[in-house]
Order: sequence, then structure tokens, then C-alpha cells
Amino acid sequence: MKNVKKLLDSAKNISGYRISGKATESYELFFVHKKLETVRSTDTDSVTVTVYVEHDGRVGDSSFSVYGSMTDDEITEKIETARKRALLVNNEPYALTEGGVLDEKLPTDLDGYDNAKLGSLIADAVFAADNVPGGSINALEIFIYRDTVHVVNSRGVDKKQTTHRVMIEAIPTFTDEKQSVELYEDYRFTKFEPEKLTAEIAEKMREVRDRAAAVKPEGGMTVNVLLRPHEISSLMGELSRDLGYGAAYSHANLHKAGDDLQQDCRGDRITFTMKGIIEGSESSAYFDEDGTSLKDTVLIKDGVVVGSFGSSRFGQYLGVAEPSGELKCGRLEPGTLTDEETEAEPYLDVVSMSGLQLDLYNDYIGGEIRLAYLHEGGKVTPVTGITMSAKLSEALASVRLSRKTDVSGRYEGPVRLLMKGVSVL
Amino acid sequence: MPFSAYLDSVRQDCRQLVEELGHGFDYVSVLGTDVREAIYRADRKSSAAQDGAGECGFVIKMHDGRSFYEYSCDDISGDKKKLASKITAAVATDASLGDRRICTAAVKDEPMQRDFVRENDFSSYTDEQLLDVCKDVSAELLAKSDKVLNALAMIRPYTVSKLFVSKNRELSQYYGWVNGYAVVIYNDGKLVQARRIEGAGNIAEVIEKVKAGLDGVVDLASHLTKAQPIKPGVYDVITDSSITGLIAHEAFGHGVEMDQFVKDRAMAKNCVGQYVASPITNMHDGAAATHSVASYFFDDDGVPAHDTQIIKNGVLVAGLSDLASATQLGTEPTGNGRRDSYKRKAYSRMTNTFFSPGKDKLEDMIASVKHGYMLFETNNGMEDPKNWQIQCTAEYGIEIVDGKLTENYVSPVVMSGSVPELLKSISMISDSFEVHGSGFCGKGYKEWVRVSDGGPNLKVRVKLG
Repeated sequence: MKNVKKLLDSAKNISGYRISGKATESYELFFVHKKLETVRSTDTDSVTVTVYVEHDGRVGDSSFSVYGSMTDDEITEKIETARKRALLVNNEPYALTEGGVLDEKLPTDLDGYDNAKLGSLIADAVFAADNVPGGSINALEIFIYRDTVHVVNSRGVDKKQTTHRVMIEAIPTFTDEKQSVELYEDYRFTKFEPEKLTAEIAEKMREVRDRAAAVKPEGGMTVNVLLRPHEISSLMGELSRDLGYGAAYSHANLHKAGDDLQQDCRGDRITFTMKGIIEGSESSAYFDEDGTSLKDTVLIKDGVVVGSFGSSRFGQYLGVAEPSGELKCGRLEPGTLTDEETEAEPYLDVVSMSGLQLDLYNDYIGGEIRLAYLHEGGKVTPVTGITMSAKLSEALASVRLSRKTDVSGRYEGPVRLLMKGVSVL
Repeated sequence: MPFSAYLDSVRQDCRQLVEELGHGFDYVSVLGTDVREAIYRADRKSSAAQDGAGECGFVIKMHDGRSFYEYSCDDISGDKKKLASKITAAVATDASLGDRRICTAAVKDEPMQRDFVRENDFSSYTDEQLLDVCKDVSAELLAKSDKVLNALAMIRPYTVSKLFVSKNRELSQYYGWVNGYAVVIYNDGKLVQARRIEGAGNIAEVIEKVKAGLDGVVDLASHLTKAQPIKPGVYDVITDSSITGLIAHEAFGHGVEMDQFVKDRAMAKNCVGQYVASPITNMHDGAAATHSVASYFFDDDGVPAHDTQIIKNGVLVAGLSDLASATQLGTEPTGNGRRDSYKRKAYSRMTNTFFSPGKDKLEDMIASVKHGYMLFETNNGMEDPKNWQIQCTAEYGIEIVDGKLTENYVSPVVMSGSVPELLKSISMISDSFEVHGSGFCGKGYKEWVRVSDGGPNLKVRVKLG
């Protein structure tokens, strides 16, 4: 990066630059059943340079990648090509992020482990849960990453952050004389807690056993639906994307400040904040790709849109005094839902979906359910082969949120979200 | 010579590294990649001309008679003995895993030397010309109606250079593909987006296709503002070629990726030779099966491109494999070993996946529906190869009543259900054929590769919600 900076500092007729580098070291294990099929390791570095040129009262920018194989002459040629491309681009003026020096590690306890040893310990923790009769973990992939992100620009930004994280993908499977079924699960963490990991996989082993016993309910029904963190995170991600500066600037946003997302609310009011850091989340960051320090921002307060978020550029376009930066994590405040209230009416506890389908434009929430538990009259029945669909606005109006919270990926918040009166076929 | 000059300059480095690592491993290969993408885009207020997602680096694959090992890096120049030692140390495992490795047959490394090139017209366009096309298209869309709040036009050409070197094999390939996009944000009491995405091997063809569809994009947006939610139910459905491709891809394609056979993650493993679809159904996949976005000459394991017939007259006849899965299954790899990038593992992946055309006329198919829907444009889909459930989302559908398309649009439309039930319900197949080369496919929720899919129109019976 030093060399690239030197070449950019000496480049003529450019107004500014940004260098964004990401160095990744990884150690990866791929198991087929319980046997180790492939061992991988990576040591890679990617650098992207953006050149800015002010011209005709406007600003143009153009980006290119720098590869380890490139000579100084090749990089110089790329800078010149980018300068010429930037002259073709006529965007509204904006200022690059100014100043700031940082060199920080995101919170983790993984640094104390040797990668090969950690990989082995993770495998042991996962396979320790493989003790359900008829059950097996048919595939396991373990990825241990150390990412170092480094952003430098022509206005004095020089920020570096290192993330040490683990992602695992496990496939709990259950086989009996009639069939074999599976569930897909991924786990992401920055702190290794083997007992917690084993317990989570063990729960999935029990659930996949129940999938084998699951039945397709006769006919359709209208029922309360309970969602889990993976799906709640998808829902909040979709709502927050609509509140990005970029969406507003391009007229693609559906909602704006002051809009009540829960008109005629009969449930818990939603309060959602985009955050830079959530403890335990691998998506935590101190700054974004522009080097802008991340500022936690409340997007929705008591169901009403109160904020938006995004990059410095689009924030400036919208007249935001202090843009939040591209926040990745989000926290949903807990609600008041109790187990007693949940149990008061029949409900469908959704364990696994093909993927929550959300369409804000068409006011839709739905998707295929791979496994759910139908709670009805004190009886619990595992069900499968069903699809739910509802009006998103009506779902939000009736939404109930659990008091208990947890962290899942980039989401922190209630572990259960109840939607009332959902159509299930 | 369009092939990467850089990769051409490191052939000897690759050979030397293969030789050096060959002292410790039974099989060694080096894949060098140099992928370049450019992005030209314009909307109402902004524009861009820049490089897109590219990659340049190496992945070294090794086999020691039991397990596979891979190492990804940016540079293989310098002392090969030192590099080989570094690689060997980097893929070492904890002692506790020593007796938990798989045991496979030796990897075949049959001799082959070829350089493949597919020409394109990319170099005949300047940055200025391509950005001007985008600005013109955006302006034309904005001018069509004051209800068009914004209009995005984008052209994304990319080129692929890959070099594969093993002890007995040295292959190189160069090819390109370009996608063009026209998207409008439209408000007529309801805010909607409508888009048209095209793909081709040459820029001229893509520009022509995008420009030809501009009226259609605005017209679609206008209809979508009036679209209603569909009443959940089981319907007779006619698919457009995009939705046909989505079914081919999600309903069955993922289920015949043979790395899933190795893991006992695919029901199809036990169904080879059995009827899995209506007897009028034929389905193919392969980089050599048609010319589209995934039409490479050899895969990321150095295996030549194939045209694999997956379903023949309703019977499952073959799956798709990468080198590692074929080695474990004792079969021949089918040229489907693909990586997200040189930084990622190769898996069995689809390429260009499609149903073959039939003999029916689309108008007869529509006329045969008393009450149902014709579905258009892929939004997304999710596979479930173990349990053969699917979820495919279409951007919109048009209601069919008494054999005629109406003006009643529904959006979005989620198609779900059992794969065998869906495929066995195929009752008519049109004589038309189109493959759409603008998609990306993940395996689970990661490992994104470019794919195409498509085929004719199908008549099926399926649950919509």
C-alpha cells in the first residue's frame, strides 16, 4: 500500500484518492460426514484504489484494483486510466472523509489459538453433538479468518482494523427407514465457547429428528407465526435498506422520516438502531470503506422512522451534517411478549425457512417453511411443506417481540417475533 | 493476444511449483486467474466508469493419496522451494485429525495441452462511448413518462483469463461476457421497480437488446403499480423461459451437484435411472451445452467443459461433478468444478442449466388454462436437494382466465412445493428456447458463481403464494 500511496501522491491532475486494502489469512477445514476431505489455507491481499477528479464544478471518480503482480509502471497506467474515466463522470460534489488515524482490533478471544488447533477444537465441539440415534452431521465446513482492513485517503485518513472470526456451516441430518432429512445451519462468532456451540448443534439435531416426523397440515390455516433471529434479522435488514441515504438519493426509498411503520399498532412498538459494534458479531467495525467513523444511528423509534444511514457521500448529498457511515449491524429493542401470551392462541413456531421473502413495494412477507412446530390446544406437532404469506404492513402492526435477546450474525435483539393472523397453506 | 499477459509470463513459475510440491504430494495443480470487469452506469443524477469485481491470483491444489489440500495466494514468483515449504506448513492439520482424513483413489492427470480463445468486440468500444450509451438510455427512459422517478442504465463487460498447470496438463483460456441493465423506479400512486437484464458475448448485441426493451420496462412498471397480491392456492401455471430456468436450477440442478452425493445431501443420489419428471422432460447442464455466461472451456479443476444430459425423457441419467467429488465417487468429473474466486474452494456447480424445448405452441398452452397464471422474471430461489422442496420467487404473474391472458398482474409470486410433484406435473413444453445469462448462484448462502438458466415455456401445476 505504501508504494501505491507514493504513486498516487505524485500523480498529476487528480483531486484526491482513497486506497482500500483487505488482507485475509484463513484456515479452512471441510468434513464429509466426520472425515476430513479438504484442508485449505489462504494468504491474500486485495487493494482497491479510487481516484477523484474535480472538473466543471462537479466531481468524477473511478476505481481500480491493484494486484500483487502489478509493476509500478502498470499501477501508474491504471491511475491515469482512472483519471481519464473520472473526467467522464459528472457527479454532485462531495468531500472525502477527513483525517483520523486508527489501528484497532475488534474484540475477540481467538487470538490465543493456533489455527490448526482451533479448527480441531471446533470440529470436536460440533461432532460432540452428533449423538442422536439416527442423526448425523453429514457435512461440516469451518472457516477461521483474520481480516485486516486498511483505508488511506488523500485527506489524512489512515485507519486499520483487524477482525478475527469464525464461520461454520453444519448440516444436521436424520435418517430412518422411511426417509432422510436435513437442516442447514451456519454459525458466526468471534469468541469460541465450545459448550455453547455443542448445545446449539445439539438443538438442531433434535429439530432435524422432528423434521423427519413432520407432517403437512391438512388444508390452509390462519395462525400466529413465531419467527427466530435469522428471519427477524432479514426483516430488519430489509426495512433498514429502505432507509439508506443512497435509496433516498435515487428515489428508490419507500419510507422517510416521520412515517409510521406500525399504523393501528396492536403490538410492540419497534425501535431499531444501526450500530458499528455489537459484541460477538463478526460484522462489527469501527469505520467503513471510506474511512468514515461509524456512528450508531436510530432508524425507527416506537415504530416511526426517525433516521437514515449510509456513506459520507450520499449523506452529504442529502444535507446530513454528520453522516453515519455504512453501518452493518443492527439492534432491535426487546418487547413484552411472554410465553403465556404466546401460548394463549394456536401458533406456528418457525424453525427453518427456505428464505424469508420480503417485498416492501408490494407489502409482502412470506416464504416456504421447512420445519415449524404447530402449538395447538396443548399439543405440539412438527409440520413441513407449508408456505406462509401476509401483508407486511399488517404483520408489523401486530408484531410482538420477546423480552429475551441474543446476537445472531449482525443482529442483536429479541429471540422471537410474533406475527398475528398469518395465512399458511 | 487477449489472454492475460501476466498469466502467460508465469507459466514457468507454475511448472516449477508443481514440480517442487510434487516431491511431497501425489497430485499438484496450479490455477492462475486474471478476471477483469468494467462498470459503466448512469442514472438521473449520477454516473460511473470504473473497474468492477476482478481477481488475480493463484490456487494450488494437492492430493496426498488421501485428502485434498488447497492454498490460495496472490503471487508465486521467487524461490519455489521456500514457497512449497510455506504451502505445506500452511495446510498442516492438528495431530488429532490425522486419522480422520478421507481415503480416496489417486487423482487422474491425463495429458492435455490447449490454449482456448473466444473473441469479443470489447476493445472496439471506448469508455466514453459506453458511458454515453448508459446516459442516453437513462435519459430515454426518464423521458418516457413523468412517473419515472429515476432510470438506471448499466453495461458490465468482463473477461476471464485462466491458466491451469499440472504435471501432465497445461491449459489456458480467454473468454468474455457482458450484461446490460435498464431499471426504472416508477410511481403512480404506488412505488415500484421494473428491470430488464440482457447478456451476450458481444457489447453490440447487448446494447441492441437493452434498447429494444425500453418501452417494455416502462410498460411493465406501469402494470406493476396496479399489481395485487395473489390469493394463495394451487394453480395451473405457464412459465416464461426465465422461470423455467429457475425451476431447472433450483428444483433440480442443485440436487444433482455430486459433491452433495458424497455427503448424502441429495435425494437424487438414489434416483439415478428412475422417473423424476414427466416423460416429455429433458434437461441439460454444461459449459459446452450452449453459449452463455458460464461457457468456459475448462473448469477450475482443469477438466474440459461438458454438455451433460441430466434428465432424459423424464428419467434422471447423470449428475454434475467436480474433481474431488468424482474422485470420491469413482466417476469421471463432468467439468463442473467452479470457484467463487481463486480464494475459495472448488465445488460441484451448475453452469448453463436448461430444459430442452418441446413441441407445443405457447398460445396453445395458454389456451389450455381455465384459470391460472403465467409467471415472469426470476427474483430468487432456494434449493433443498435433500428433501426436494423448492421455493422460487417470480417478479410477477399475469392471470389467465378461460385460456386468455388478462390485464390482472400479481406481484410478487412465490412458487413452492415438492420437486417431484412439480416436475411430474409438466404437461406441455413449448417449442421456443431462451437461456438467460445474467444470474449468480450461491451454494447454500455463499460461493457465488455466474450461471445461466432457461429453456422453453412449461405448463405445470404448482402452489403459489
